[in-house]
Amino acid sequence: MAKLWVVITREYLERVRSKWFIFMTIFGPVFMLAVFVLPGYMTMRGLKDAQVGRIHILDATGTGLGQRVASHLERQEQNSPLAKVPGAVPALPSVVEPVNPRGLAAAESIATRLVMEKQAQGYLILDSLTLRAHKVRYAGRNASSIAQMGLIESAVRQSLMASRMQDAGLAPARIDSLTSVKVDMTAERIDDRGRGGSGLVSAIFGVVIAILLYMMIMIYGQNVLRGVLEEKMTRVAEVVMASVKPDILLAGKILGVGAVGLTQQLIWFGSAALLFGYGATMAKAMGVPQMQGVTLPTISAPLFLALVFFFLFGYVLYSAMFAAVGAMVGSQEEAQQAAGPVVMLLVSSVIFIQPIMLNPSGTLAVTMSLIPFTAPIVMPLRMSAVQVPTYEIGMSLVGVALTCWLAIWASARIYRVGLLMTGKRPSLRELARWIKYA
Amino acid sequence: MAELALDIRGITKRYGDFTAVRSLSLAVPTGAVYGLLGPNGAGKTTTIRMILNIIVPDEGTITLLGTPNSHVASMDRVGYLPEERGLYKKMQVRRVLRFLAQLKGVSAREADRRISEWMERLSLKTPEKDWGLSKIDELSRGMQQKVQFIGTLLHDPDLVILDEPFSGLDPINAQALKDTVVHLKKRGKTVIFSTHLMDNAERLCDSVCIIACGNKVLDGTVSGVKREHGGNNVALSLAGDGGAVVSRILSDHKTVERVDDSNRYFEIALQKDADPQALLRKLVESGAQVQRFELVQPSLHQIFLEKVGATGVEEGMSGHG
Repeated sequence: MAKLWVVITREYLERVRSKWFIFMTIFGPVFMLAVFVLPGYMTMRGLKDAQVGRIHILDATGTGLGQRVASHLERQEQNSPLAKVPGAVPALPSVVEPVNPRGLAAAESIATRLVMEKQAQGYLILDSLTLRAHKVRYAGRNASSIAQMGLIESAVRQSLMASRMQDAGLAPARIDSLTSVKVDMTAERIDDRGRGGSGLVSAIFGVVIAILLYMMIMIYGQNVLRGVLEEKMTRVAEVVMASVKPDILLAGKILGVGAVGLTQQLIWFGSAALLFGYGATMAKAMGVPQMQGVTLPTISAPLFLALVFFFLFGYVLYSAMFAAVGAMVGSQEEAQQAAGPVVMLLVSSVIFIQPIMLNPSGTLAVTMSLIPFTAPIVMPLRMSAVQVPTYEIGMSLVGVALTCWLAIWASARIYRVGLLMTGKRPSLRELARWIKYA
Repeated sequence: MAELALDIRGITKRYGDFTAVRSLSLAVPTGAVYGLLGPNGAGKTTTIRMILNIIVPDEGTITLLGTPNSHVASMDRVGYLPEERGLYKKMQVRRVLRFLAQLKGVSAREADRRISEWMERLSLKTPEKDWGLSKIDELSRGMQQKVQFIGTLLHDPDLVILDEPFSGLDPINAQALKDTVVHLKKRGKTVIFSTHLMDNAERLCDSVCIIACGNKVLDGTVSGVKREHGGNNVALSLAGDGGAVVSRILSDHKTVERVDDSNRYFEIALQKDADPQALLRKLVESGAQVQRFELVQPSLHQIFLEKVGATGVEEGMSGHG
């Protein structure tokens, strides 16, 4: 179709020539980097969880257990990843208070006040129950931090073990060397194809892909909406519709804008490949230590193909819906409102990224990867994390393709009628009529 | 070439309970300038959109340049200027025009040549300034209208459809439009335009069709319509005092219905079947010195008011400009 080509060319060239495109192409990666570096930074901040901070240890055991716990905690601090971060402030050492079992209640209320005055994070009570039944009590501001409570628990466990060993007659020096065992575990993913590289890296890769897909669909879908709205509001639509069928105009717009998105991605990935190629050498030259053990997960051909399909279908599905929205409203403000439901559909696939990643084969993940509106983003996410059964991928693709076809069909009809309509936004019932009679 | 540029047979368009156009039939001969007249909301734009296959009629057929209007090829030979004009605001003038021409099947190279020609003809390109390189929204309203007009004619269409072409035009552009319509007719093109401005229609059109509330009120050639729907009017001037003889002749109610006597100038409404020639003979025989005896026809405007007024017309349809 020569006319379709004319429409596509216009949509493509006008956008690629625009300042907006140049700006996005240059600053897009900067923005993306911020999106991906920020979580890294947050994780770094999260490492603080590896430090318990100053706590009061009320030791009513009379066996010096408190002192042992304190020194275990201190050792943990020294070994924590945070201690290796340059410029990190070392946490204050914990305070051990030997107390009489009968004065415990009074000591507790004093310690409570200290915590309230922020002099300490919390307090730990070691008493005869600790020795007999291994029961420990802790109260403090960080009581809800699972990581920190784990650290305290492990410190107490190791201390109890050490006192038992001492009771059994081991020399204190031996005990120290026996109990201080540092374990460093790396997790690697295995699937049908064998080892799939670091589990963490492929998870991050999956999230990156999902967010990238989401952003592209969102940005370019709304771009289609703006384009349709522009044609409607400036009344170009009628001039053009006297030359081409509205379906061709719609198809040309969606394809043209999609081509712009692909161009942008090509530029991004091309420069990323270049960066990765030269990046290592440059990093070395700049004195940045080599990242160890980070091998990018290999993308198999089927995964790549699926990615492309899901992206294309996802984009077409959403841009068709956005186009219908653009055709039925009469102003930019109305468009914002009317696009709400479509945006919500799209957003719903990314707000569940975290729970899906925690359990990529769970009910939530499987369901969302089969629902056509969330599948284009959730399925690639799952696929990069776990081995998804082929029939699930097939079902998902078929569902997406069918919905896509339906969306195009309905939106072409809404588009045809809506482009010539002015005045108030149609109600759902009117929309149904448009679709029926167009 | 087909004898009829446009042949509409019994088209009807309903929107729910509202009927926008009711079994309308039109025949526009090739090479004619045809006016589609009617008050606002009469169904003119709906009719035009159906002609262009932008909307599909519920009933009836439309044949355009010899083929059904659903044929894409026939659409490439039609130029359309919609009532609500619009161009891509952020696009360069030349690129917009090239796009519009390419949509009609003109090659980019040929389009560029014609664009330059038109731009110079409508003085959008002068030695000092080439507006073709500006963006649409940098142009004044008048210039945008010119660009839109070029876009309508760039592919040299055989049938040109203009929806309310005069609305919002400044006098200079209006004149340019009239000149172009005449020029198109001379080149054998067919022009159909809708308007509610009767003066323009009367001056430009060979034939007209008046529609109101979706119904055809009348159609035919302008002279035919006037003859049919105008009364039998005569303007009479005498060189001297007509005297009693003339007064007697004019007060004969068998031929004359009413006389507006301004001493030496008379406006005479004849009875429907009276023969003006017989009246003239009588006057000459009576010895009156006839300086002027002219059959005057009512203006389209008069007919329009008379015919459409009854069917309920809105304000703002009177002729001016």
